[in-house]
Amino acid sequence: MFADNRFGYLDSVRFILSYTATPVYWVADMPARTSEFFDDVFVSHSDLLAENERLTNELLLAQRELQVLASLASENSRLRALTEAARIVEGEVLAAEIVNRSPERASKRVLINRGALHGVFVGQAMLAADGLMGQVVEVMPRSSWVLLISDPLHITPVEVNRNGELALARGVRGETDELELEFVTQTQDVHPGDLLVSSGMGQIYPKNFPVADVVSVDNDPGQDFAIIKARPRAKINSTRHVMLLIPPKQEVQL
Amino acid sequence: MKSKSYTNLVVIISLFLAYLLAIVPLPDWAMNWRPQWVLMFVFYWTMALPYRVGLGFAWAAGLLLDVLEGTMLGLNAFTLLIVAYVTLSLHQRLRMYNPIQQSGLLFVLSLVALGLGHWLRVISGQIEPVDSMYLLAAFSSATIWPALFSLLRSIRRRFINN
Repeated sequence: MFADNRFGYLDSVRFILSYTATPVYWVADMPARTSEFFDDVFVSHSDLLAENERLTNELLLAQRELQVLASLASENSRLRALTEAARIVEGEVLAAEIVNRSPERASKRVLINRGALHGVFVGQAMLAADGLMGQVVEVMPRSSWVLLISDPLHITPVEVNRNGELALARGVRGETDELELEFVTQTQDVHPGDLLVSSGMGQIYPKNFPVADVVSVDNDPGQDFAIIKARPRAKINSTRHVMLLIPPKQEVQL
Repeated sequence: MKSKSYTNLVVIISLFLAYLLAIVPLPDWAMNWRPQWVLMFVFYWTMALPYRVGLGFAWAAGLLLDVLEGTMLGLNAFTLLIVAYVTLSLHQRLRMYNPIQQSGLLFVLSLVALGLGHWLRVISGQIEPVDSMYLLAAFSSATIWPALFSLLRSIRRRFINN
């Protein structure tokens, strides 16, 4: 135990043992896959039409927003060229599915169906469509454990989208999925409703990806720091389809 | 006559089922109530077949559970080793007890395993300490034990005759 925790040399043993774990995970995920299969098969024609229409509308909206975004991006890159700041690195993504979660209530970790054979590595960022989810902490041949941002041992470097105030978001201990901003002084400009995006510090998460919404700010004069609670953007307990970020090969220019 | 390898097969298949039950996702309210399946299966097999299933088996079973749960390697192996040791040293007495009395000992062993496991996770920095609700799994394990015992006994009598 001590050896596994403190030294790295048991990692390979663990990796080989994980091959035996694959069938168990596969069988344990069967109920979820079966229900998804039946959902796909037994859909009425009108439901499909309605869904198609909804998706078309969403696509239109998204394309419109993309146009705006493109202009913003070009403007942004021109401004960045002026300041010669580091370019934002944009990577490809690897689609994955959440197949299980930690049987331990105290640790908020999920198992995904992508592993070393798909090129997953420790420290890779996991995103959902609507926000940051977590980072890979352990890689097995065909599956990996991901530590969620709501785990009390996980700290996400964030910034307030409105004004760029930097902060650290730590998962709140207990059953909730909320985050808590640490070491934010009472005079700093953070308000309920502010969007927190990842600041890119720590080099694990991409910059400017939405993380959470601030829900409450409690300024107690007796405390050193403000008590700020935030709710993650990603639906941490109900998402199945996620993305793993594949960083491009050393494209950072200074 | 059935061969001895049959015994190994039955034990391994039952353990596979225990692993499945141990990691299958449950709703939030049920998480703390999930019985300790692997612990119960190791308890049964060390009691029923102490000459076949011993400390090494318990250790290996725990190691695989560590891999499955993604915990530190050796944590469940250690707690199951303690369970198997106590069961082995008491197995002759345990066989005389009725299942209700056995579940009394199982409850105590389960509490020890849960508490030790939680404590080891905390001092190794894997989790932050939480409330003691995780100990509820000992109640559910002890409650389910008489039924599991008769099921496993009928399986053993059906497939293993030595």
